[in-house]
Amino acid sequence: MSGQLQQVDWLAIAAPLTLALAAVLVLLVDAFAGPPRSHRAALVPAGLTVLAVVGAAVPAVLLVGDPRSTFCVERALEGPAPCSFAVDPFTLVVWAIVLFGTGVVALIATASVREGRTPQGEWHFLLLCSSAGALTLAASRDLVTLLVALEVVSLPAFALAGLRRGDPRAAEAALKFFLVSVVSTALTLMGISLLYGATGAVFLDHVAAAVATGTGPRQVLVVGALLTVVGLAFKVAAVPFHMWVPDTYTGAPVAVAAYLSVVSKTAGFAGLVLVLSTGLGGLADVWAPVLGVLAALTMTVGNVLALRQQHAVRLLAWSSVAQAGYILVPFAAVATDPSALDATLGYLAVYAIVNLGAFSVAAVVGTRHPGQSLADYRGLVREEPGAGWALAFALLALAGLPPGIVGLLAKVVVVDAVAGPATWLAVVMAVNVAIGLVYYALWLRELFRPADVAGTSTYDVPNGTAAAIGMTFTAGLLFSVFPGWLLDPVMAAIGR
Amino acid sequence: MNAPALALNGLVAVPAAFALLTWLLSARRHEAAALAAAVTGGLVVLGWSVWAVVASGGDLAARHVDVPWVAELGLRWHLGLDAISGALVLMTTVVVACCLVSLVRQPPAGGSAAHLAALLLLIEAGSLGSFAALDMVLFFLFFEVALIPMWFVIGQWGDPQDEVGRRRAATRFLVFTVLGSALMLVGFVLVRVGAGTFDIVAVAASYDPSGETAVAAAVLVALGLGIKTPLWPLHIWLPDAHAKAPTVGSVVLAAVLLKLGTYGFVRFWMPVVDPAWDLLVPLVAAVAVIGIVYGALACLAQTDLKRLIAYSSVGHMGFVVLAAATFTVGGVQAAVFASVAHGVITGLLFFLAGAVKDRFGTGDLTRLGGLYGVVPRTGGLVAFAAMASLGLPGLAGFWGEMLAIRAAVLPAAALPRTTFVVLGVVAALGIILTSAYFLALLRTLLQSTPLVDPPAVPALGDTRRSEWLAWSPLVALTLVLGVAPGLLLAPVAEATRVFLGGLG
Repeated sequence: MSGQLQQVDWLAIAAPLTLALAAVLVLLVDAFAGPPRSHRAALVPAGLTVLAVVGAAVPAVLLVGDPRSTFCVERALEGPAPCSFAVDPFTLVVWAIVLFGTGVVALIATASVREGRTPQGEWHFLLLCSSAGALTLAASRDLVTLLVALEVVSLPAFALAGLRRGDPRAAEAALKFFLVSVVSTALTLMGISLLYGATGAVFLDHVAAAVATGTGPRQVLVVGALLTVVGLAFKVAAVPFHMWVPDTYTGAPVAVAAYLSVVSKTAGFAGLVLVLSTGLGGLADVWAPVLGVLAALTMTVGNVLALRQQHAVRLLAWSSVAQAGYILVPFAAVATDPSALDATLGYLAVYAIVNLGAFSVAAVVGTRHPGQSLADYRGLVREEPGAGWALAFALLALAGLPPGIVGLLAKVVVVDAVAGPATWLAVVMAVNVAIGLVYYALWLRELFRPADVAGTSTYDVPNGTAAAIGMTFTAGLLFSVFPGWLLDPVMAAIGR
Repeated sequence: MNAPALALNGLVAVPAAFALLTWLLSARRHEAAALAAAVTGGLVVLGWSVWAVVASGGDLAARHVDVPWVAELGLRWHLGLDAISGALVLMTTVVVACCLVSLVRQPPAGGSAAHLAALLLLIEAGSLGSFAALDMVLFFLFFEVALIPMWFVIGQWGDPQDEVGRRRAATRFLVFTVLGSALMLVGFVLVRVGAGTFDIVAVAASYDPSGETAVAAAVLVALGLGIKTPLWPLHIWLPDAHAKAPTVGSVVLAAVLLKLGTYGFVRFWMPVVDPAWDLLVPLVAAVAVIGIVYGALACLAQTDLKRLIAYSSVGHMGFVVLAAATFTVGGVQAAVFASVAHGVITGLLFFLAGAVKDRFGTGDLTRLGGLYGVVPRTGGLVAFAAMASLGLPGLAGFWGEMLAIRAAVLPAAALPRTTFVVLGVVAALGIILTSAYFLALLRTLLQSTPLVDPPAVPALGDTRRSEWLAWSPLVALTLVLGVAPGLLLAPVAEATRVFLGGLG
């Protein structure tokens, strides 16, 4: 009945709600406590953020094996009532990645506390807001919620990138990111409106049904689908929509680059999976080849341009473009094998862990060498064994070589999904893995080279960042020995 | 865990554990203790591998380890040994043990010898895992384990005079090999599309390769293994890697890592190929034969001792692949025998090349000469190893190449006989060329007086006791395999009949 209050399943929305409330709390605490007087006090917002993430994880854990939906249409005209918000295994996997990523990013950010140029309270407020958006996005099941959630992810992220006081490069990074993002959102909006126009539905289930029955002009559907893909491709930094990545990553604080490369990217991929697979699965024969070409371009351009980089974060930026290419690969197989996107989720989970590992070490090195030249990493294994070995492991896992077995298996998973349906793409990926090796090996070599000067000045690793390094390193090692613990549940999430 | 399972898991775990121990001791600055641990490790692994071969009894089906590892991927921890892999496992552990022993007295420049020893043990763990793996993806995975340690070995302990060159050689080795692995992996996944499993024993028993996917799979696996073996024209990474690597690195690279490629052809390529296909198998055989001739011709033009041995490896690997491509029991016998023989003989040759370089400071053949006069025992050993390598009857090198040519003349019924006979004849021509360059080598290196800039009489003297200790197992194996080839040939034939039931 119109006007009647809806039954809201509070447990289902508890996770994003927790983050949103915690965001307000962080801001209030910061406002009342005033500017922190000691470095220790500056760590309070980070601690609150981590607590919030843990708090949000509790309802998520409670929902394992108990799929829920809420915000449903009260009386559907036909069939089961469509819902705007659903927590199913797919949602939970994305939530796990987002929450892990947010927690680690909050810890990485403690590396820049000493610098004193970033207002900590505001920064963590924005982080939590954006992260709440990412959680909502993974649970959204209609196009409008999805778009709004996507904006909630992006808007705080611009501010995050530019929040460092008196840093023109950060401001430029934020502006570039903002402009590109606005354009991409506009394109997505255009695509969504075309989809709505063609199918008369905003709920993904309805869109899927309309596509399956063939109602609505196909050309409009195709154009709508492609425009939506373009918009999301900006978010995941697929070539040719990647131009903002290197400048934004290098200009922004390292923690923000880590956030953009993992959490924001995960949100983009979740959006792609939802729109394309859940909503437009019937059009897979149209978009799958397009995404295949996009994947091939993305990994090739990312890897080739990473070859020449001497700036560590810029290298990680290009590497994350290349990795996005690998993550896109399984989309090309969806037309023949609807469960291929398992591999996307599996790779995304592994990538999140090891990429955050690399960024957390980069944040530590950045405290002493803001220039982030690869030569600054010389002898790190000897000078700072914890960070050095963690970075070595992360780089090997990104490259897909043992002992980073978890990264190797992620690549196997992707090849496994695509060899057969699109063997050419698997071969392109094989070549790219070999190219990518060159720059990871280059960096790796610096880590193990004996340092020029035998200065034993060790890094002053902040506790928070040390925890971030420890968490990602431990997770990477653990899942290298028992890859099934990570890959089995994650890849079972898209069961069809 | 029952005895075979313990033995097989230990094959991977024991060298890895000793590598860790060596590393830890070295990190605590107990350099001598670390080296001692590494040498002990090498010997323990050697003993362990003998036990593993005995305990597994050549039975792939019953005495193996087979537990799921990543269920969603269908990846299983599946290890087993038969005579084909057992022979290579034993060869590997012997060669690595020799390398570790040699490190005690001949540590290369570039860093801690204990670190190098730890890396060698890691390479050993990866290689033994690859030989024992019966799951296609597990084979791929173990192969990758050996790569990063080898990259460090070449990049850090390689040619001390050419830092840029050795780094480039190391990275080129890494990139090429990983490209090979990745292509091979794509092929394996395509095999699974048809066969439904990564289990190579099941694939060998019941997979019927047909259709485009199966052809693509076989081509990709051949391409990947062709890079690793390496086959002409995919060999371009090999000479540099050998020339820049330290002595033990060259030995392990030639004796062990190349064998992963040839072993892969026998274990993982033959079961996924239908010899009745028009083109693929003859093409692989032809490429192998081109490699034989090309390797020999390239050797004639070499002026660097290590590059010469590296190119001779290209030729020897050509024989192995030619033999495997005949799809006969005799061919597999030849391939496995030639693999083991090459490991032993070329390992010895690289040790000797290293000894020459240590003594005269160069491997440049235009500057070296008259070794008989200066270091007669080293010279004699070079002559012995070169004779073995060119296939002198009575030494190990003979049987593999003889049997390979015999197999080429009598290929499987499905293969074009005439083509293979022609290939066999050309390969025989390659043997003549091989003899030519080795004899030329012996003449310039051992007998003639050096043309320019005669190297000084070495301070190290002639072959030392520690060197004899490290080399004598290889010399002994060369003799034993040459005199009694049946020790290896009979069990391999038996294993081949069990593994690849359909071969004639």
